[in-house]
Amino acid sequence: MARAAHPDAMKPRGPQRTRTAPPTAPAEFPFAGRYRTYTLFDWTGIVYLLAGLVALRVVWALGSGESAWSTLQQQLANPLYLAFHALSLVAVIFVGVRFFRLFPKAQPARIGPVKPPPQPVLHAMLYAAWVVVSGGLALVLAGGIF
Amino acid sequence: MAEKKTFEITRFDPDRDEAPRTETYEIPVEPDWKVLDALNFIKDEIDSSLSHRWSCRMAVCGSCGMMVDGKPTLTCKKPLSEYGNRVSVAPLSNFPIVRDLVTELDGFMDKFQKVKPWIVRAKERAVEEGTHRQSPAELEEFKQFSMCINCMLCYAACPVVTNEPDFLGPAAIALGHRYNMDSRDQGSHERNEIFRGEGTVFSCSYANECSEVCPKHVDPAAAVNQAKLNAVIDWATSFVVSREKE
Amino acid sequence: MKHPLLKLEPLIWLLFGLGIMVGTMLLTAWLAVVCLGAPLGLVPADALAFERAHALGATWIGRLVLVGVVALPLWKGAHHTRHVFIDAGGADRDAVVAPILYAIAAAGSLLAIVAAGRI
Repeated sequence: MARAAHPDAMKPRGPQRTRTAPPTAPAEFPFAGRYRTYTLFDWTGIVYLLAGLVALRVVWALGSGESAWSTLQQQLANPLYLAFHALSLVAVIFVGVRFFRLFPKAQPARIGPVKPPPQPVLHAMLYAAWVVVSGGLALVLAGGIF
Repeated sequence: MAEKKTFEITRFDPDRDEAPRTETYEIPVEPDWKVLDALNFIKDEIDSSLSHRWSCRMAVCGSCGMMVDGKPTLTCKKPLSEYGNRVSVAPLSNFPIVRDLVTELDGFMDKFQKVKPWIVRAKERAVEEGTHRQSPAELEEFKQFSMCINCMLCYAACPVVTNEPDFLGPAAIALGHRYNMDSRDQGSHERNEIFRGEGTVFSCSYANECSEVCPKHVDPAAAVNQAKLNAVIDWATSFVVSREKE
Repeated sequence: MKHPLLKLEPLIWLLFGLGIMVGTMLLTAWLAVVCLGAPLGLVPADALAFERAHALGATWIGRLVLVGVVALPLWKGAHHTRHVFIDAGGADRDAVVAPILYAIAAAGSLLAIVAAGRI
C-alpha cells in the first residue's frame, strides 16, 4: 500500500465540490524502482556534510602546528574514519556520474546571446574537467608535482 | 480461447466509501489492446459504475493518465501485452481522488494559471505592424516544451509534489519556461519572480522522474532546471538593472 | 511555501551548484589521497608530511583549494540533507530545518576561511 502524500498535495485553492480521498505518494517512492537512486542521491548530502566537517578538522589541524597535524593523521588511520572516507569516495563518484549526466540538459538553449555547446560536448567537458581538476590535485597532494 | 487477465482496480465512491478499496475483475483480453480498452470493457460489460476519464484514445488529450502497476501511465498508449496476468490500476498519485480512477484537477489548474502561460508583451503590437516574426531557430529554443498535453503523469511521479503542496510542479514550470524562451514574449522577468516565489522552482530536487514518465518527451526536468538558472540570472541582474513596468 | 529563506534561495542554489560540481571534483582527490591514500600508506610518507603540507597550504591557491574542499561540500550537503527531511514528510518543518542546515554550511564556510588563514 502506497504511503500517504502530504494531505494538501495538489489541493485546489477553492472549495471542493465533493468529498475526495486524500492523495497517496507514488507506490515506488522512496526505495523502489528509479526512486531508490534518487533517494540515495539525496542521502549523499549527509555524507558531503560530514566529509566537509572532517575536512574542516584537517585544515584546522594544518594551521595548529606539527603536533596537531601528526595527531590528526594518526586519527585518519582509524578504521571508522577509513570506512567513512571509503563510503564518501563512492558517494562522491556516484554524485559526479549522476549529476554530470543530468547537467547538460539543464542548460537553457540560449542565455542572452550565448548558446551552450551541444549536450554531448558539455558532458565530455565535465568529465575532462573532473579528470584534470581531480587528477591535478591528487598529483599535487601525493607529491607527484610541486 | 482468449487470454485472460485480472485487474485490481481502485474503487472509491465518496457517498458510500470511507476510503478507497480495491475490486478485482478477470476479463478476456485481445492481443492488440491498450490498458484503456480493458477498462472500457470492464465498464461496458461487467461494472458500469466504474468511473475513469478518457477521450482521444491516441495520446494527445492527456485525459487517461492513471497508475498502472504503480507507474504513471497514459492508459490509451500503453499496450496491455507489456503487463503480466495481474494488473493493478489506480488513480494518479499525489492527487485527491474524486471517484474511482478520477482525480481532482483544479489544483493543477491553479498552479497552471500562476505562471502566466500566454505571450506577455510590454506593449502590444499594432495590427498595422503585422505579425510577429520568428525564425525556425528561435522556435526550436522552446518547441519541445510546448508539446505538453497536460496529462499530469509528471505530477504523479514527482516526489516534491508528494511532499510540498505549494510547488508549482513540472508541467506548469515547463510551460512558463516555454514562454520565457519564446522570442515573442517579454514577460520573463514577471515569470522569473513567480518562479522564485511561493511555488519556487528551487524546490525541485532533480529526481528526473517527470521526464522519465512524460509520454510526449517534453523533458520537464530539463525545463525546470533551465528555469532555475534563468531565475538566478534574473535575480542577480535585478540588482544591477532596474526593471520598470511600461 | 512561505519561507524565511525564500529570497535567498537563488544564492543558496548557486552555492549548492558550485558544491556539487567543483566540490565533487575537489573531494575526489582529497578523499583519495588525504583521507585514504596517506593513512593506508599508498602515498609516499613525505608527501603529506607537515612541512610539505604546510608549505602547500600556505600558498594563495592552496588556501583557496582548502576553503573549497570544506565549504563547497557543506553547501551541497546542507541542501540535499534538507531534501532528505522533506522527502521523509518534513515539509511542514522545513522553515525550521532549512535555516539550521544552511547555518551549519555558512558557519563551516566561515571557519574554513579562518582555518585556511591560520596556516
